[in-house]
Amino acid sequence: RLTQVRWSRYNPSFVEPEVNKELYQKPLEELSEEEKEKLELKAVQPIKAAPPTVSSSVFSDPMISKFTNMMMKDGNKVLARSLMAQTLEAIKRKQLEKYHKAPEDEKEAIECNPYVIFHQALKNCQPIIGLSSITRGGKTYQVPVPLKDNRKRFLAMKWLITECRENKNRRTLMPEKLSQELLQAFNNEGPIIKKKHVLHKMAEANRAYAHFRWW
Amino acid sequence: TLRLIYTTTAVQRRNVGASGPEKYTEAFIKKQIEEFNLGKRHLANMMGEDPETFTQEDIDKAIAYLFPSGLFDKQARPMMKHPSEIFPEQRKIQWGEDGRPFHFLFYTGKQSYYSLMHETHEKLLNVQKYQDQLTAQDLPSQKEKRNLAGNRWLTKIELEEMLLEKLSDNDYLRFIHLLQKLMTLPCGDMEEKYIQKFTREVPAQLQKVVIEPLKYDERGVAFSTGEGIRKTAKVTATVYDNGTGKITVNGIDILHYFPVLQDREQLLFPFQFLDRVGKHDMICTVSGGGRSAQAGAIRLASARALRSFVTEKEVEFMRQAGLLTVDPRVKERKKPGQEGARRKFTWKKR
Repeated sequence: RLTQVRWSRYNPSFVEPEVNKELYQKPLEELSEEEKEKLELKAVQPIKAAPPTVSSSVFSDPMISKFTNMMMKDGNKVLARSLMAQTLEAIKRKQLEKYHKAPEDEKEAIECNPYVIFHQALKNCQPIIGLSSITRGGKTYQVPVPLKDNRKRFLAMKWLITECRENKNRRTLMPEKLSQELLQAFNNEGPIIKKKHVLHKMAEANRAYAHFRWW
Repeated sequence: TLRLIYTTTAVQRRNVGASGPEKYTEAFIKKQIEEFNLGKRHLANMMGEDPETFTQEDIDKAIAYLFPSGLFDKQARPMMKHPSEIFPEQRKIQWGEDGRPFHFLFYTGKQSYYSLMHETHEKLLNVQKYQDQLTAQDLPSQKEKRNLAGNRWLTKIELEEMLLEKLSDNDYLRFIHLLQKLMTLPCGDMEEKYIQKFTREVPAQLQKVVIEPLKYDERGVAFSTGEGIRKTAKVTATVYDNGTGKITVNGIDILHYFPVLQDREQLLFPFQFLDRVGKHDMICTVSGGGRSAQAGAIRLASARALRSFVTEKEVEFMRQAGLLTVDPRVKERKKPGQEGARRKFTWKKR
């Protein structure tokens, strides 16, 4: 841990910044002891500059920025952001259409906020177990392994993007296809949920090799 | 007839560097110190100064005057320093005349490191015993709050200098973990002193930044200026009070200058953080850099200008949100033998 292969321009003592406005507006009495200690520590530690993708406004969301970065090709952030914005708009339009057509009792059940739909769809796509290849005695076995949170989120986002890039018609645009997939994932249907279930079944089938895991 | 053929054993001992760096005896170092003091007095005499009050700085100036050198490396120029700074500290011989070592851990190889670990562990056990005694007598354990903020642990190099031994990374980490474990327990004063030997102060962060007072222009409106830098972009921004929230860059409105939403978000970030979105006007002049670098530089400049309008607490909040630090990231240079800064050439098997 002391050797640095990937170094950064910051001194290692620098700490990540905390952008959320609400945390700073809490009055002093409400803080618990741990938080008071953390505040004291932070007052002496140098802090890195906030990256240009992050802002304290209501509209910036870490998951959405991660997803936009993954969608980006060749560093074209402008295009990726516009595609993301168009996707969210498309989702909102579809949901509003459904809302206005639905009868009175079902109106409350329909979710119109695109951010909520995005988060819920990602959560539904996340696998719980993954497979990792372990070589024992010349043969490679696929061993079921619990995944970390970061890895789950990454896999869900990666599946979404590859699905939308490969399985669409020549004529449909990316936002259109993405919004379709997100709505399907929100309702627990669609090809990505199928892929997640296939992965779970494979893990269940290879249950016998679970003892190969040593971590 | 038989001829005696023999080879000398001196052939075996040819390698000069195998015994390690030169070992200095104590007598040698004492002689060097005496010579240094004598030389210092002579030098003071030569320069016409008082030999009693001739400090190290005066020595350096005198040597630079008497032996001028154009060499770039400061370490290569003639220097006259106290022998303890020139000759590295070395261990005296660890064994007596009969060959028996003095320290009981000599044959471990790292005797001072292991003896230190034993000492620290002993202290830990003592503290735990003390704690158990207190709980047995039903007395509450004392929680004395130590000021964790201004201290850092010794670095590996400093520890090596202290112990006069080479350490590996794992050894160093183990020692630091032990010290941290000792610190987390509610321990008494004796352990405080022991731990303080291994901590150093960190005075770097406590530089108080001077916040400039507000200036007033001809119309009576309060304003303040700030400068920002990001990756070759330089910006000077003036923030006026009692405004409508208009922002002008190089004479052009931000809607026309920054067509991308991300840049405009960055410009408004400091104002939105302080809940002052429509209350200030801003005029900035920017040069250099690209679109994102200019936006980041304007963000820094406006955050610095807003410090004069805002209470100290909010300045601290801005600093913790990362608005007041200069972003040091610049384009990494391309290295020879590689295609870019990190990308290597395609590997071809033949």
